[in-house]
Amino acid sequence: MIKNYFKIAWRNIMKHKVFSLINVIGLTIGLSASFVIGLMIYYDYTFDDFHKDGDRIYRVVSDFKSPQGTFHNSGVTLALKDAIADNSNFESITEFYINRPSKVENKANNTEFKWPNFVMYTDEAYFNIFDYKFIAGDKSTALDKPNNVILTETRAKEYFPNTAPADLIGKTLVYNDSINITVSGVVENFKKRTDFVFEEFISHQTLLQTDRREELLERQWGNTNSDSQLFVKLTESANVVSIQKRLDDLALEHTDEDDKKYEMSREFQLQPLSDIHFNEDYGIYDWSKGQASKSLLSNLALVAVFLLLLGCINFINLNTAQASQRAKEIGIRKTLGSSRKQLISQFMGETFLLVFFSALLSIVLSKWLINVFSDFVPEDLSFELFKAPLIVLSILLLLFVVTILSGFYPALVLSKFNTVSVLKNHMAAGEKKVRLRKFLTVFQFTIAQIFIIGTLLVGKQINYLLNKDMGFKTDAIVSVYSPRSERELSKKELYAEKLRSIPEIKSVSIGSHAPASYSTNTTNVTYTNEEEIIKSEMQYIFGDTNYANLFELDILAGRIHRNDTVRELVINETLLKKLGFNSPDDAIGKALTVNDEQTPIVGVMADFNQRSLKSEIKPMALRGDWYRSQFSQFQAIHVSFHNESSENLKSTLTKIEDAYKSVYTETEDYRLQFMDQTIETFYNREKKISKLLNWATGLSILISCLGLLGLVIYTTNRRVKEIGVRKVLGASLFQINTLLCKEFLLLVAIAFVIATPLAWYGIYSWLQDFTYKTSISFIAFIVGGAAMIFFALLVISFKTLSAANANPVNSLRSE
Amino acid sequence: MIQITDLEKFYRTEEVQTIALNKLSFEVKQGEFVAIMGPSGCGKSTLLNILGLLDDPDGGSFKFNGEEVAGYNERKRSDLRKHNVGFVFQSFNLIDELTVFENVELPLIYTGVKPAERKKRVEEVLEKMQIMHRRNHFPQQLSGGQQQRVAVARAVVNNPKLILADEPTGNLDSTNGNEVMDLLIDLNEAGTTIIMVTHSEHDAKYSHRIIRMLDGQKVTENILA
Repeated sequence: MIKNYFKIAWRNIMKHKVFSLINVIGLTIGLSASFVIGLMIYYDYTFDDFHKDGDRIYRVVSDFKSPQGTFHNSGVTLALKDAIADNSNFESITEFYINRPSKVENKANNTEFKWPNFVMYTDEAYFNIFDYKFIAGDKSTALDKPNNVILTETRAKEYFPNTAPADLIGKTLVYNDSINITVSGVVENFKKRTDFVFEEFISHQTLLQTDRREELLERQWGNTNSDSQLFVKLTESANVVSIQKRLDDLALEHTDEDDKKYEMSREFQLQPLSDIHFNEDYGIYDWSKGQASKSLLSNLALVAVFLLLLGCINFINLNTAQASQRAKEIGIRKTLGSSRKQLISQFMGETFLLVFFSALLSIVLSKWLINVFSDFVPEDLSFELFKAPLIVLSILLLLFVVTILSGFYPALVLSKFNTVSVLKNHMAAGEKKVRLRKFLTVFQFTIAQIFIIGTLLVGKQINYLLNKDMGFKTDAIVSVYSPRSERELSKKELYAEKLRSIPEIKSVSIGSHAPASYSTNTTNVTYTNEEEIIKSEMQYIFGDTNYANLFELDILAGRIHRNDTVRELVINETLLKKLGFNSPDDAIGKALTVNDEQTPIVGVMADFNQRSLKSEIKPMALRGDWYRSQFSQFQAIHVSFHNESSENLKSTLTKIEDAYKSVYTETEDYRLQFMDQTIETFYNREKKISKLLNWATGLSILISCLGLLGLVIYTTNRRVKEIGVRKVLGASLFQINTLLCKEFLLLVAIAFVIATPLAWYGIYSWLQDFTYKTSISFIAFIVGGAAMIFFALLVISFKTLSAANANPVNSLRSE
Repeated sequence: MIQITDLEKFYRTEEVQTIALNKLSFEVKQGEFVAIMGPSGCGKSTLLNILGLLDDPDGGSFKFNGEEVAGYNERKRSDLRKHNVGFVFQSFNLIDELTVFENVELPLIYTGVKPAERKKRVEEVLEKMQIMHRRNHFPQQLSGGQQQRVAVARAVVNNPKLILADEPTGNLDSTNGNEVMDLLIDLNEAGTTIIMVTHSEHDAKYSHRIIRMLDGQKVTENILA
């Protein structure tokens, strides 16, 4: 019986090639999107799912609350570990400190490695919580002494090529020119997906030989460094609520007096292991990989669901429309004894065959899609994941669901036919079925319309963000950062001097970051006037006396600081208002208390955006490098050009790099950033959304129009005789085309009416994330509607014109 | 075998009710060949549909092998039909997507016959209908006569007790028509009961008894042999 079903299914597919193709294309697009997005979801949700008792492992993190908002830090104060050490809820507690050495040397073969990444200082407990497989060395003793290191297999091969792991025990490496460290163990790298990308584990006591010694010995409650990580493994019977209570109490007990003054507080949180991969607040260890985003994954899943639904709708519409063509077969089968259940199974089988065929195509297509969506797809997401049992099972389940969604209603309709009526050829299209088809078509076009309008408006907003005046000069400016290990100011000054001698360079300034960047340096200030004490947060940017000039910052009153070391502030308008001054001139000469020292305001600059236009302008001050004798804040040299023609630019950039090489020896640490590119990176996520929307729009239009084409072909074929009669009676081509198009265009128009408020609401909600937003232009709606009607008309006319053009003699004779 | 008493069937539209069968009664014995004649719209096809358990009467009694089947649900009717009744239609009603062999095989699939047995029985009946050489052809590739032979083959492959033929020669020329009638006679002589609806006096003469109908009622009954 099954064989018979599949045979007839295949023959039916081949007999109605156009409809089958439309169905296959629609389902293939939907399934491909689902497969790729499904793989991405699987990929991200299976990070670190292999650790033994992973559900009992937590990272302890810090949240700092202030009237300005909550700041998250993945680290905790070193004092916390000791305070919770005797808590019986914990099976293991480990702290580790992430630190990238500037250099590691293998003296034996005279090789050195600059800035090796993923190095931590930790203890045995880390290996009790995370189950590494030891290839050499003993887990219980490997880190019990200072100056020991456990290497991963990969790192061991780099430092000691061609040496067996067992032979590495006892070998010595020199860190940062001075610390001798002995290899005491080699572990296998985790074979599965993990955010624990560490390659070197140095014994924790070794930290006492580094510049962290004081911090480690003092273990102050007030000091929190994101490189200091604390992990705990709870006991099986642990009470999370009581642990959190204890953490809250500790945070409260150790609140700084200064923090209380500024209404700031700290909270410790238990972050589950499974949350680390997704939670952007605290981040992961390999920043280059980019954090997974649950909201992005759910948006993607939503797109996949919509595309799949559109494919299923095509299937339902075309199959119920074509039902009358299957009527005779159904009548005969019923006459010969087929039950309704058997007929339903038969039609479901046919649907499954088509869905299965589409799935095979989708798997092939997915490989290509993974490349197209490379912005979304993690680099190491491989096609091999398709072999994972859970993925195979999910695909089968998805095929089953899609088969039911697409096939069940048509099967129900077809199997319900009255045997006597169909054998007598008395078939009438039920009004209900026609209504359902219309409803589903409207649904399809509503989705397509929402996507079109969304694409237009998101594009408009991104364009607005990229082109809006940030309040300072953003084009023809680059920033070159000095090497991370280089603290000396003299070299920066020498480099700046060399840059000034390049004729294409207009201006040079030494400072911290550019006016808009990802970095912030925040402090608290107080201003006391005759009536009150006003407190505020204040961000700093550090720059020499040419900084404001280079970035064309607008000075509204006063002047900029006299030199790089004088203690003077140039505040922005936001801070000016916050401190209660009525005009810029009023602030000049007044003093703010910063770190208990009076600091005069010498100038007021116009507001500019320090971050993306999603965020508000914060209170800020420009200042020099007061503490340069202890720690210089000047890390970058900013350069503006006379003109930025591409040829000129190329040679100027070469000169900038050559000058760098002549000053610094660490040439591999050369970092140059274009100001306008930095600003573009603020909107990477928005650009991704835009790209996703472009695709979703294109595909939804394609699927919907294909479905429409199918319905038009069907309807036109049914009305061939009517067209013939009308033509004989004198109807023009235009009249006939209008007659045929009217019904479908009406559906598209209804979809437009439904889509407009939905799209408006969606875009309105999305725009709430931005402080600066473009207007929701009604033109986008009109263009969106017109585009949809254009596409629909194109598709409809493709068939109706040929039908209207046909010689009526043929259609009438066939009667 | 078949006993109908005061059988009624109405067709209703929103405004009008048409009486298709009006208290019709007659009996057909096992092994009989009965022809039913009458003008278009007299209720012949409605009667045949009810006898073939494709449709339900609105009133009266319909006994099949002594069992009252009027009021049977769809599943019961389907079950009774597939084991006992074969159909031959004027327009052949073969499934275009299936080959000759597959069309004939279909009733056996629905009655759950095993594949090997199906093959044997289909081949036997195709041989008997002299259409074996066309077994892999599709219906559109056959002449009308050949198609009707396939339809007859399909009707008899399950060895039904009753064959209902609705204008079996209506779409055929006289030579092919006669051949089909000869096939029905052969089947009848082998013991199968046949009820045939026809407009053709010539075909009706092959039967044992002619029932003439008008406006849903029996008007005459002629016994021929």
